[in-house]
Amino acid sequence: MSDTAPDMLPGMQRSRWSGVRKHTFLCCVSLVMLYPLLWMVAASLKPSTEILNTASIIPSHVDFSSYRRGWFGLDVSFGTFFLNSLIVSVLSVIGNVMTCSLTAFAFARLHFPGRNLCFAIMLGTLMLPYHVVLIPQYILFLNLGWIDTFLPLVVPKFMATDAFFIFLMVQFFRGIPRELDEAARLDGCSAWRIYYKIMLPLSIPVLATAAIFSFIFTWDDFFAPLIYLGDPGNYTSQVALRSFIDSSNQSDWGGLFAMSSLALVPVFIFFVFFQRLLIEGIATTGMKR
Amino acid sequence: MASLTLSKVTKRFGVFDAIKDIDLSVEKGEFVVFVGPSGCGKSTLLRMIAGLEGISGGELMIGGALMNDVAPAHRGIAMVFQSYALYPHMSVRKNMAFALETAGMPKSEVTARVGKAASILQIEALLDRKPKQLSGGQRQRVAIGRAIVRDPQIFLFDEPLSNLDAELRVQMRVEIAKLHKELGATMIYVTHDQVEAMTMADKIVVLRLGQVEQIGTPLDLYNAPVNRFVAGFIGSPKMNFLNATLLSVSGAGAEVELADQRLLIPRGLASAQSGRIELGLRPEHAMLSGGDIALGRMEVILVEHLGGNTLLYGKLADGQMLTVQVEDQARTQAGDSVEIFTQARRCHLFAENGSAFTPV
Amino acid sequence: MRERMTGAASFGGATRPPRTSKLQSIREGYGFLMPWLAGLLGLTLGPALFSLYLSFTKYDLVSDPKWIGMGNYVRIFSTDPKFWIAMKVTFTYVFLSVPLKLGFALAIAMMLNKGLRGLPIYRALFYLPSLLGGSVAIAILWRQVFSSGGLFNQVLAMLGIKGMGWVSTPETALYTLVLLTVWQFGSSMIIFLAGLRQIPADMYEAASIDGASPRRQFFRITLPLLTPVIFFNAIVQTIDAFKAFNSAFIISDGTGGPVNATLFYTLYLFQEAFSFFRMGYAAALAWVLVMIIGCITAISFFMSRYWVHYDE
Ligand SMILES: Nc1ncnc2c1ncn2[C@@H]1O[C@H](COP(=O)(O)OP(=O)(O)O)[C@@H](O)[C@H]1O
Ligand SMILES: [Mg+2]
Repeated sequence: MSDTAPDMLPGMQRSRWSGVRKHTFLCCVSLVMLYPLLWMVAASLKPSTEILNTASIIPSHVDFSSYRRGWFGLDVSFGTFFLNSLIVSVLSVIGNVMTCSLTAFAFARLHFPGRNLCFAIMLGTLMLPYHVVLIPQYILFLNLGWIDTFLPLVVPKFMATDAFFIFLMVQFFRGIPRELDEAARLDGCSAWRIYYKIMLPLSIPVLATAAIFSFIFTWDDFFAPLIYLGDPGNYTSQVALRSFIDSSNQSDWGGLFAMSSLALVPVFIFFVFFQRLLIEGIATTGMKR
Repeated sequence: MASLTLSKVTKRFGVFDAIKDIDLSVEKGEFVVFVGPSGCGKSTLLRMIAGLEGISGGELMIGGALMNDVAPAHRGIAMVFQSYALYPHMSVRKNMAFALETAGMPKSEVTARVGKAASILQIEALLDRKPKQLSGGQRQRVAIGRAIVRDPQIFLFDEPLSNLDAELRVQMRVEIAKLHKELGATMIYVTHDQVEAMTMADKIVVLRLGQVEQIGTPLDLYNAPVNRFVAGFIGSPKMNFLNATLLSVSGAGAEVELADQRLLIPRGLASAQSGRIELGLRPEHAMLSGGDIALGRMEVILVEHLGGNTLLYGKLADGQMLTVQVEDQARTQAGDSVEIFTQARRCHLFAENGSAFTPV
Repeated sequence: MRERMTGAASFGGATRPPRTSKLQSIREGYGFLMPWLAGLLGLTLGPALFSLYLSFTKYDLVSDPKWIGMGNYVRIFSTDPKFWIAMKVTFTYVFLSVPLKLGFALAIAMMLNKGLRGLPIYRALFYLPSLLGGSVAIAILWRQVFSSGGLFNQVLAMLGIKGMGWVSTPETALYTLVLLTVWQFGSSMIIFLAGLRQIPADMYEAASIDGASPRRQFFRITLPLLTPVIFFNAIVQTIDAFKAFNSAFIISDGTGGPVNATLFYTLYLFQEAFSFFRMGYAAALAWVLVMIIGCITAISFFMSRYWVHYDE
C-alpha cells in the first residue's frame, strides 16, 4: 500500500493514525500479559542464584540444572508423574470421543420416544455443579476399592459424563446434511453403520476438537486427582507440582518453575498446532476455556 | 401388475395433513412425474414411498407386496436426491459401491456393476475422484449411477435438476429420458417445473395442498384440465382467466357475456348453471385473426419480442388483462388496438368453485 | 428377469424383509445412549439423589449416616460463621472477576474486530493465558509473581514503589485471584469476536450513511445485537466462577488463607469433606451451592428480558 493510494477514502488518514495507536496499545497489553509466562520459562533456565531479585527475562547463561533438580525433586521422579498424566489423559480422550459421539449421534440423528427428554436432561447436567455428585461418587469409588487408582479419573469418561462434548458434537452433527443419512439408509445401512461409515469420517474436525480439549482438561485437572490419588507413585503432574510446593524444596523456585514449564508444554503444543480448531470450538459453542 | 400402488395414503405432521388420501397406481416401466407448487407435499409423498417418512394411514404396495413398514433398503427402490447426497469422503467408485458392499455382495460383482453403470453414464474417467472435484452435472450423474447399480424396481428422483444451470438442465432432462428407455425401469420424478413434467412424463400427477388435483398424460392435462388450478399450472405462458357471466346453456352452445360482449361458444356443457364463471384461454390460443369466436378489442400495453413468437399484454374493453402469444415477430406496438379471436374448442369454462365444465 | 439386489430374497436368504418398527427405533436409540444412560444413572442422577439424602445426615465415612433432618442446613445458615465468610469471598470474587473479565474481553474484541491487520496473531496471544490458565503451574506462577519478593514487586521497585506480599496480605489476596481470572479473558474475547462477525456489515453501512457516529453505532447497533452473546457469556462465566477452586487452593496452600481471605465456597466444601470428613455437612453445602447457582441463573434469565435483544 503506497501513501498516495488513489482509492483512499475520506477519513482514512485519521484511521491509519489510530491504527498505529491501536497496535501500540495491543502490543503493550500482550507483552504485559505474557511477561509472567516468559519470565517463568526464563527463570527455569537461569542459574538458581539469578532467579529471584530480577524482573529480567534474559539469563546470564542458559543453565538446565533446574530441570535436573526439579525432575528428581520429589521421592518419585517427574517422569512417572508425566507418564501418569499422559495415561490418564489419553484414556480420557478415547473414552470421551467414543461415548460422547455415540450419544451425540443418537441425539442428533435417531428418532425414538424419550429422545427430547433425554436431551433436556443432558443439557441440565451441563449446569449441575460437580460438587453435588462429588461425595457420593467418592463413596462409590471408595467402596469399589478404586481409591488410589486411575479408575475414578478414567471410567467416568467412558460413560459420556462430559455433557459439554456431547453438546459440541450434536451441534456439529446437525450441520451434516440429513440427506447423507437418508441416502445411507436407502443403501441399506443400519444406524451403527451410518454412525461409523458416514458420520464419524465426516466429523473429524469436531472429533479432533473434542479430543484436544478433552486432553487439555484432563491434563490440567487438579481436583479429581487430588481427591482420588494418595500414593505419590500414582500422582499426576498437577498434583505432583502441588506437593512440590509443600515439600521441603519450598525454596527451590528454579526446580518448581522448570517442572511447571514442562507441565505446560503439552497444552502449548496443542495451542501451536491446533489453534484454529480450538478457536473455532470456542466460537461455535461458547466453551469457557 | 402395477409396479406401485397407493391407496388412501395419508401423512400427518402433528395436526397438519401434508398428504391427504392419495390413490395412485404406477405401471411397470412408466415414467410418472409429481408436479405442483412448492410445499404441496411432493417430496413428502416421494419420501413416503422411499420409506424415509412413515405412513400415517393407507397402504403402499410395491410389486404387489405391502411395504408400509418395510425398511427403505428393502423396498426395491433407489432415490436420487436434490442435493445429490453423495458421500463427500468417498470416491465416486466407493459412493457407487457402498450399497452393494453394505449388502455383502461379492467384490467381483460389485466391480462389474459399478463398471457397467459408469459406462452407461460415461463417468468411467471420474471413478477415482471425490465428489468435491466434480462439476454439478457430473455429481448428478454419479448420484444417478449410485441408484443404477442397485438395479431397483423403482427409481425415485426428487427435483434432481434444480441445482443445475438452465443449459445443463435441458441436457440432463434428455439423458434421464434416454436412461428410462434404456433401463426400462419404473421412475417417479418430482419437480415443481411444469416444463420438465410435460417433456418427461408418461403420466403426470398434479398435487396441491397434499391432494391430487388431476392425473393424466401431459396432453390430457393441457387439453382438458379438470379445474382452474391445473389449467393455470400447466402451460407456459400461464392461461388467461377472464371473469365472465354464463347467461344460458342451450343446444346451440353456451352463451357467455365477456367484456360487455355476448359470445356464443358452440359447445354443449355438462352440469352448467348460469351465473358468474371464468373463461380460460391460453395465450397461444388467442389470435389476431381467424378463429371462430371474436372476443372484442384489446388495447395493447406491452409487447415482448421473443424472436420466434411475440407476447402482447393488453386490456380488454372492461379493463381485464389478457396475454396473447402470436407466432413469429408481430408488428403490433404498444398503444395499438387489436381484435382478438379464438377457437371454441380452445375455450375452457370454470365454475366459481374452480372446477371445469366438461364439454359433452 | 435380471437379478435384483434389493428385496430380501436376493441376499442372505432372510425370508421377511426387515421392518422399521417403533420397537426397533427404541432399541437403536437407547443402544447408542447406553454409556451415557449408565453414566447418568450411576454417576450423576443416582449420586445427586444420594447426596441430597446425605445432606440430611451426619456422616463421617466410618459409621453409618445418621439422620438429623434439617440440622445441617440450620447450622449452615445460623451458626456457621465460616459459611458466611466463604459466601462473602465467593460473591466478591464472582461479581468482581466476571464483569471485569467480560468488559476487558469485549473491549479487546471491539479493537480487534474491524479488519485489523495481525488479528490472528493478537487473538492467539490473548487466548494463550486462557488456555493455559487452568493449570496448577499457572497458579504457582501467580503465587510467586505476587509474593513479597515476586516479579510484580520487582517491577514496582524499578518504578521506585515499595510493594508488599500481595498474596500474604488478607486485604489483597483475593484481588490477585480476581486478576488471575481477568487475565484469562481470551476465550470470552473469541466468543465476542464470533458474535461481532455475525452482525451484518450492511447495518453499519446503513448507519454511517444515516450519519451515525462510531460511538452511536456502538451503542445503537453493536451493543444491542451483541447482548445475547454477552448474556450467554455472563451466565457461563458466572457459573464457572462459583465453581473456582484450583487457584485459591494453590495460592493458599489449601487453607483459604490468609485469614480466610481466599476461602472460596468450593474450598470450604472440600475442607469440610476431605479434611474433617463431615460428608453430610459438605453434601448440604453442595446443595446450597446448587440453589445459589440456580437462583442466580433464574434471576439472570428473568432480567435478561429487559436487556437482551433477541431477533424474532
Ligand atoms: N418433518 C416435517 N414436519 C412438519 N411439516 C413438514 C415436515 N416435512 C414437510 N412438512 C410440511 O409438509 C408440506 C409439504 O412439504 P414438501 O413435501 O417438502 O413439499 P414440496 O412439494 O415442496 O416438496 C410443507 O408444508 C412442509 O412445511
Ligand atoms: Mg420438495
